[in-house]
Amino acid sequence: MENILSVKNLDISFRTNAGNIHAIRGVNFDLPRGKTIALVGESGSGKSVTMKAVAGLLDQNSTINSGNIFYNFAQDKTLDLLTLSKKDLRQKINGQQIAMVFQDPMTSLNPTMQIGEQIMEAMLLHKKISENDARQKALELLKTVGIIDAEKRMKNYPHQLSGGMRQRVVIAIALSCEPKILICDEPTTALDVTIQAKILNLIKDIQAKMGLSVIYITHDLGVVANVADFVYVMYAGKIIEFGTVNEIFYDPRHPYTWGLLSAMPDLETSDDRLYSIPGSPPNLLHEPTGDAFTARNIFALKIDEKAAPPMFKISETHYAATWLLHPDAPKVQMPPELQTRLERSRKAAGL
Amino acid sequence: MKPLLEVKNLFQHFKISRRFTVKAVNGVSFEIYPGETYGLVGESGSGKTTIGRSIIRLYDPTGGEIFFNGSKISGKLDAATNKMLRKNMQMIFQDPMSSLNPRKKISDIIGEGLDIQGLYSDLKQRNEIISEILKKVGLSPAHAERYPQQFSGGQRQRVGIARALVMNPKLIIADECISALDVSVQAQVVNLMKDIQAETKCAYLFIAHDLSMVKYISDRIGVLHKGYLVETGTTEEIFSNPVHPYTKSLLSAVPLTNPVIEKKRKLVSFDASNFNYENQKLRQISGSHFVIGD
Repeated sequence: MENILSVKNLDISFRTNAGNIHAIRGVNFDLPRGKTIALVGESGSGKSVTMKAVAGLLDQNSTINSGNIFYNFAQDKTLDLLTLSKKDLRQKINGQQIAMVFQDPMTSLNPTMQIGEQIMEAMLLHKKISENDARQKALELLKTVGIIDAEKRMKNYPHQLSGGMRQRVVIAIALSCEPKILICDEPTTALDVTIQAKILNLIKDIQAKMGLSVIYITHDLGVVANVADFVYVMYAGKIIEFGTVNEIFYDPRHPYTWGLLSAMPDLETSDDRLYSIPGSPPNLLHEPTGDAFTARNIFALKIDEKAAPPMFKISETHYAATWLLHPDAPKVQMPPELQTRLERSRKAAGL
Repeated sequence: MKPLLEVKNLFQHFKISRRFTVKAVNGVSFEIYPGETYGLVGESGSGKTTIGRSIIRLYDPTGGEIFFNGSKISGKLDAATNKMLRKNMQMIFQDPMSSLNPRKKISDIIGEGLDIQGLYSDLKQRNEIISEILKKVGLSPAHAERYPQQFSGGQRQRVGIARALVMNPKLIIADECISALDVSVQAQVVNLMKDIQAETKCAYLFIAHDLSMVKYISDRIGVLHKGYLVETGTTEEIFSNPVHPYTKSLLSAVPLTNPVIEKKRKLVSFDASNFNYENQKLRQISGSHFVIGD
């Protein structure tokens, strides 16, 4: 399987008044062509920063210390996006190759522009296309994203649409220049469940039709289970576990992934208490020595305080960064509640 | 057992202009018993938040009656009822970032209700009450001297809970109080709410759109659609035997953390235009399970 996008060893810090924040500390991931990957983690774990780096949207006070973002734009032709100038990135990559759907459809649309104009804007800017053709294309796009009465809606302003409709418009804008990669940053967090399910189905349909590769950023594991082929779990600026969606959901190995899975009740959960990961994520202003998760990890070993664990291989596609997987480590079982729950879900899935 | 809160045929309409009225809540009736958790679910715009706000009298109900703790709290309130209502019913708001006054210290945010109701004899006692409540919600008494912006989202929601709890209320209205929080922090806050309920026997009106969380925390559930209560029953009844098509559609949209099943899940579609709830009554399915229509 070839990768359309491959991020290697990405390392980013931010200059702030309080000092340097080392937000991304060596992130690696691959996006296979036509597939969907999901980046999950708590707020502040660095998911959005990683994606902003890929889309070339990092803030002014950021420094990319090292790393490569390889983009495979044609057969055997790769390009390191980090070597491009801002201008090249804007003219050739943003929108046309890599497009982004943002979290909050209330704030990501221009309130003073008709939505038809907003969809046409990027096309007129990036493509040699007449205004009439752009209008036709915008109409088509609105129909693709499931907006009825597209003709009438073209003249509407964002405030005249509901939340779900607005997110559809944002998706239409992202698709307007026929990108190869679609980055969805919490695309359904602001929407309620029925609309969420519809938007996820819509993105899946479009992906199949246009052969898109999709990256989801989310903390909702239900969404991940629905859309993802591969899952990357992030904590404190690092990927701490990754694998196929089945490996992560039925056979998680990192204590942090255990915590994330246990914290969400499924419809069968009847325990008196929900498991919650104690404490809060570390402040990366003071970079932790050893494993950043140590202070919150009830399974922490002595070595966790001294050295950060490397990635241990579990299968060809499944890796996790925890010393528990070292051959010399004591055998540790995941919490029993989670164990019964995973058994239940494996059984329900027929595995 | 006598219900703690009884909502009878509640209407809440908002007049926008001479021609246009938003009919947010239409003839909703339910009751909450002491110490139980009643979950209100529905899509955005279904009227769940409006009901919460009408009950605590942030709005004046257009029609219907509300009884709380033995007295009528709809219509014009006399001073004594108002005082009883303010002390015994409290609200936790959705967004902990915007619901705390940034210019007030935590001790003054929490103490405001105590000040108004005169619930302490001297400053020392006030401080004691505040430290105690802070400890109860998992913060330290030293936090009392800080300002809201010095806290993380989860901690701020704890302050919001402490603010509601300090009055020792009988009913707490929790309006989407966890949806702005991270998954792991949600679990912390929900556990805290359950602990407090076990200790103080307060009742919750839990308003949310996350159905797996509602199922986890609620004893009984009401499903709202377009301002009508379309189905109500115990959590068990609603989840194992949903009757109304809207409830079915809502339940089918709950994402499951099981990839093989989740990827095959079919959304039950629901066409709202076929349903007109006007003048329809709830009918009994079994026990405490009611559904609208014939």
